Amino acid sequence: MIGVENLRKEYGDFAAVEGSTFSVDPGEIFGVVGPNGAGKTTTLKMCAGLVEPSGGSATVAGHDVADPEMRRSLGFLPEESPLYEEMTPRSYLRFFADLYDVPREVGDERAGAALDRLSLDIRDRRLGDMSKGMKRKVAIARSLVNDPDVLVYDEPASGLDPLTTDAVLEFTRELADDGRTVLFSAHNLYHVESVCDRVVIMNEGEIIARGTVPEIRAEHGETTYRVHTTVPVDGAVEAGDRYLVEAENMDGVETVRAAATAAGGEVVDIRTEEPSLEDVFLSLAGRAKGQERTGDALRRGPQ
Amino acid sequence: MSRRDRVARTLQIARWEVSRSADTLDRTTVVVFLVALLAAGTVVATGAVGDGVAPDRDIYRVGVAPDSAYRAPVEDATPLRPVAADPGLVASGRAEVVVADGEVAVADSAKGRAALAAFRSAVREHNLALMGAEANRSAAFPVAVDLRYVSRDAGALAGTGAGSGTTTGGDETDESDGAADEGGDEGDEGGGALAVPDLGAGTAGLFGGSTSGGSPAEISPPFPFASLVLAFAFLVPMNFVVQAYGSTMLEERIGRRGELLLVSPATPGEIVAGKTLPYLGAMVGLVVAVAALVGGGALSVAAVFPIAITFLGATFATAMFARSFKELTFVTVSVSVFLTAYAFVPAIFTNVTPVALISPLTVVVRDLQGGSVSVAEYLFSTGPAYLVGTSLFVLGVGIYREEDLFTQRSVPLKLLDALAARIAGRRSAATLAVLSIPFVLLAELLALALLFALPREAALPVLFVAVAGVEEVAKSLHVYAGLHEGPLGDDRTTRGALVLGGLAGLGFFVGEKLFVVIQAVGLTAVPLGEATAATAGVLPVGVLLVAPLALHVVTASVSALGAVRGPRGYAVGLAAAVTLHAGYNLAVVTSLG
Repeated sequence: MIGVENLRKEYGDFAAVEGSTFSVDPGEIFGVVGPNGAGKTTTLKMCAGLVEPSGGSATVAGHDVADPEMRRSLGFLPEESPLYEEMTPRSYLRFFADLYDVPREVGDERAGAALDRLSLDIRDRRLGDMSKGMKRKVAIARSLVNDPDVLVYDEPASGLDPLTTDAVLEFTRELADDGRTVLFSAHNLYHVESVCDRVVIMNEGEIIARGTVPEIRAEHGETTYRVHTTVPVDGAVEAGDRYLVEAENMDGVETVRAAATAAGGEVVDIRTEEPSLEDVFLSLAGRAKGQERTGDALRRGPQ
Repeated sequence: MSRRDRVARTLQIARWEVSRSADTLDRTTVVVFLVALLAAGTVVATGAVGDGVAPDRDIYRVGVAPDSAYRAPVEDATPLRPVAADPGLVASGRAEVVVADGEVAVADSAKGRAALAAFRSAVREHNLALMGAEANRSAAFPVAVDLRYVSRDAGALAGTGAGSGTTTGGDETDESDGAADEGGDEGDEGGGALAVPDLGAGTAGLFGGSTSGGSPAEISPPFPFASLVLAFAFLVPMNFVVQAYGSTMLEERIGRRGELLLVSPATPGEIVAGKTLPYLGAMVGLVVAVAALVGGGALSVAAVFPIAITFLGATFATAMFARSFKELTFVTVSVSVFLTAYAFVPAIFTNVTPVALISPLTVVVRDLQGGSVSVAEYLFSTGPAYLVGTSLFVLGVGIYREEDLFTQRSVPLKLLDALAARIAGRRSAATLAVLSIPFVLLAELLALALLFALPREAALPVLFVAVAGVEEVAKSLHVYAGLHEGPLGDDRTTRGALVLGGLAGLGFFVGEKLFVVIQAVGLTAVPLGEATAATAGVLPVGVLLVAPLALHVVTASVSALGAVRGPRGYAVGLAAAVTLHAGYNLAVVTSLG
């Protein structure tokens, strides 16, 4: 449904996106993740036909992204919700339905259904008087008035409260279950892990990993062993009345066991821990940059 | 997508713009605006229907007996107020002129002399009206004078009147009362409504002798005050409309509000057209209303329409370039002042010289005076405004896209972006040079209009440099934009610069030939117009065709060579090109004598 081949975008000497290639299947939620400035939004905007690629190609629903007809198959949700604040949700959604040549009754029905699903009852208050979450719901409803096959959602839950975030993410999942293809961008990896079928991780304009979350975890992440001892050993930290040491593999676990025994203690517990997508990302990004993990670019969990 | 679909979508956006804008106005604002509009309309209508605005009403007191033959002229004349025919009133300062016992007593002051002139003028007009009412025209006007204005030697500064056309007048020396016998014949004032009092030379012009001709620097122009004021009424509401229009266009850029329209099926052209239509409609509606109030006809509306297009085009481009409402206001006001000056200043000289036709407002003045305008004159007068307005829209639509709409760059850089967006390859250097001609025409004619009032000796050198500067910028700015902001980066070489400069010079030369239309309507009849045309390369066909081509190619190449080296290099190259061009202008005019 979406095909991206060696897509590039340069601004003068600065390469915002360097040779991205991926495809998204019908009904799939495809995540594009990465820190600020990674090239996620530029990639999404090129797929939406908003930004002209410097090179490569992108097709959406069989149309080149430069083809205006492509827009009829597309629902786009930008990172912010720049609505016309003097309008009401009803007049705003009707206007966009008109632009897509959607009959008035059909447009009203679609918009109404989306707003009902998102639990927004207010239809005739000025948008300028509504909260950010309400505006976001109206923006999502707007992306659906033309009944698009493809949805490009840029940070759909950015800045929303936890309840609204959950509602938006759940709704996005439902849209994909209905057969729509969703290209989804976020730098909150919890959102990505919770809804995306596949992801690409971008950093500094390049895709540095791709696949399902388990695949990426398996390929780029490492299982860690949390070993609890009764006596302190090298590298251990206090954990209640015990001591905790992290080992990268079983050899490390045996080394800890030997050290604990030598100190007159013993190993009382060993647990494995799978890496999160965030851990994988931080590892990859740190490796790509040749620097220590900073962690400040990404946040874990709902905001 | 069919044309019908595009039109339908444009109209959808236009309807939306109207309803959305209406929602932004509260009722109080609307009521205040309508009341102000009604008041202004009432004032204008009253002025148009009645005697008009008369700041000079009853400023002179003339003592004249109720049974005197002079009573009627004094009562009819706006600046005169009849008082008792007591000669002592002059001495006591309670009257400027007193007519009693066949004698005229005049206060020995400037006001007294002005009052006497006004009194004479009133008597003359009264007599003319009486004679005009005579059934026997031959008896009333035994001598018919047919005036034909011809071109004169540019060096002659005095003598015959300027302008063209014919009129008939009459022998007006028969002022039998003896009170106003100091005047001479006044056949040169035969302009009817055009012949309003001389503003610059006291009363001499009215009473003969001091007729004038040539450029307005050397004459006391017949100033079409009433028509000009009414014509100006067309421009006033435009300034309000463009403020609202500029705001709505800039609002699309603030907070990325226009982004969602850009991902809709509507193209940038449709969006811009749709958002512009309501404001164009409002302007046309206001123009028609003003025309109805001031007595203008379809010609006035047709003449003001391109001014509206230019106002909107300039405002649109400004809204695309500005980074904030503050910047928008500053640039919009500057543009409004510039355009108003361009429209208004030449129209002052409507009755003096054909060069006044460079302003569409001149056509309005002529229409209000009951005159006619040929198709060629209309096209000459309005063509630049149509072309400039349209070009500004084309330029602005070029950057009506996500990558330019929401970036914060300075106005000059945005202008370069807009030019760069229209450059597809080397050929664009020539194409854009051709398309720059309307702007060049407008700028040069504005320079001509502004320098018009200066003495010729002072105006010509400035004009040479101004013309050279305008043309060299027009030939090189888009080349610079293409080299540094557009797709011509690979041409930042000496060879590339020469190719681009050559193409720009050639394109400009070709486009410049369209300027020939100036000759068709007689702009070259006045000295400065002749100079402008000559320096712009409009010479008789077959004469010196090669010279202007070589000039444009060489100077454009010089600018382009500088442009490849960056901003400073471009400034140096441009300065060199302007110097070369100004020298050429001087040489051409000198050789032409």
